[in-house]
Amino acid sequence: MSTRVDEMRPAGGNAVKTPIVQIRGLHKSFGQTEVLHGINLDIHQGEHVVLFGPSGSGKSTVLRSINLLEEPTKGSLKVDGVEYGPGFADENLKRGTKLQLRRKVGMVFQQFNLFPHLCALDNVALPQRKAQGKSMSDAREHAAEALRKVGLLERAGHYPSELSGGQQQRVAIARALALDPDVILFDEPTSALDPELVGEVLKSMREVAETGMTIVVVTHEFGFAREIGDLNVFMENGRIVESGPRGFYDNCTTERAKEFLKAVK
Amino acid sequence: MSLFDFDWGLIWDNRGALINGMWTALSVSTVALLISTVVGLLLAVLRNGPRSVSWIAVGYINVFRGVPALVSVIWVYFGLSLVLGISFSVFQAGVIALSMLYSAFLAEIFRSALTAVPHGHTEAGWALGMRTSQIFFSVSLPQAIKIALPNIGSMYIGMVKDTSTFTVIGLLEVVRVTQNLVATTFQPFVLYTAAAIIYVIAAFAIDLVFRLVEGVYVRPPKALLGRAIRARQRRNIDKIVAKTRASSLATAQLFVK
Repeated sequence: MSTRVDEMRPAGGNAVKTPIVQIRGLHKSFGQTEVLHGINLDIHQGEHVVLFGPSGSGKSTVLRSINLLEEPTKGSLKVDGVEYGPGFADENLKRGTKLQLRRKVGMVFQQFNLFPHLCALDNVALPQRKAQGKSMSDAREHAAEALRKVGLLERAGHYPSELSGGQQQRVAIARALALDPDVILFDEPTSALDPELVGEVLKSMREVAETGMTIVVVTHEFGFAREIGDLNVFMENGRIVESGPRGFYDNCTTERAKEFLKAVK
Repeated sequence: MSLFDFDWGLIWDNRGALINGMWTALSVSTVALLISTVVGLLLAVLRNGPRSVSWIAVGYINVFRGVPALVSVIWVYFGLSLVLGISFSVFQAGVIALSMLYSAFLAEIFRSALTAVPHGHTEAGWALGMRTSQIFFSVSLPQAIKIALPNIGSMYIGMVKDTSTFTVIGLLEVVRVTQNLVATTFQPFVLYTAAAIIYVIAAFAIDLVFRLVEGVYVRPPKALLGRAIRARQRRNIDKIVAKTRASSLATAQLFVK
């Protein structure tokens, strides 16, 4: 499914359409320790998915598996119907490489990870030149447009060290956005920020969400999660305990999810 | 015997020969520096690689860091040339000897500099669909060079000083020139003082050059040289920003109408 769906999709899963990301029986071990014990997750086009749970629950590992920064030990990861994980032996599916996958999936990190030797504009332009083979001037023009979207056009010539954490993270969002990905992953995008800078980053994320972009967020900002989460997934000890559509934060059924939400309130 | 009883005028009289000696020392060192930078970088990458190849780099580094320049140059000039059946010129022998030793030192400098670049930058590169080689050249290496530069400068000064041992193979560097002058003037104190001074001046000059180069790598560009080099890029960025700003304003006005 590579065409964009223009109509508004109903919140929550849509049984008719094939999910853009389909995870089945995903296991991940670091040495002898298994940290993910069989994850199943469907993410549909335009859906906004929130992963939450206590630290060490495996939510970041799930997120990082979606672009194979963590390689699953077992299980299936399909994006656009193409298998990128180990898969299942009986299936004879179209397989894709890591590089092909990462050109469809964007990512924003907790630590921003901007390249400090490049100005904001070139941070956004570099991956377009390298991954998409764009010329310098094409990449820069497209980058300027992406920076405008996150409200940082006037900071294009600034270097990361001259930007606040919030601004750096917005450049990182523009950098992911400029590659026109099918999905953007956010790994605790506001956790390294001063409290007063969180708002501007959430605002940019909200704007990205409003364009119909499929996004997956690991976050502890529950106000934001409540607001954008079409699908909300509570994880603990490497398993999905419970998940649900909009309103999940008030209607969750398992004791553990209730307990966790009460504790973080 | 006071300091004034020496014939200090000798230094001025023989300035040409001494400067030529330093010129030779700098030439040998500069060629060797370029070679060691490339080889050192390769060794550093190998050293950080999987164990099946890293042992080669580890072995090389540990052996050649331990060999003195004097031994190395004799080994190359009188030994290696026999084995290979090539008669090296003294200049070539000096370059080879220095390159062998300093590749090992620079490998360690580059290894630590590459390690100092946060792994998150490589991960970001991967996540953005870049190849590992693209990330290395566009992201990791430029940052590592900046970190390594001061140490490379020190190594370069060390190289220039190590050329003094190449007097044993007859390279006409500063010490050899000084020895020749002493043989005819019998003024070792004066002439070796001159030699010392010329080495110190060279070290200062190298330090200055490396500081200038370091300035180019500072972000945001601060030093004059850094700003001058970035000026064109700066104008290009300003142009693109202005263009984007204008087109977004035009769209906004369209909405107002």
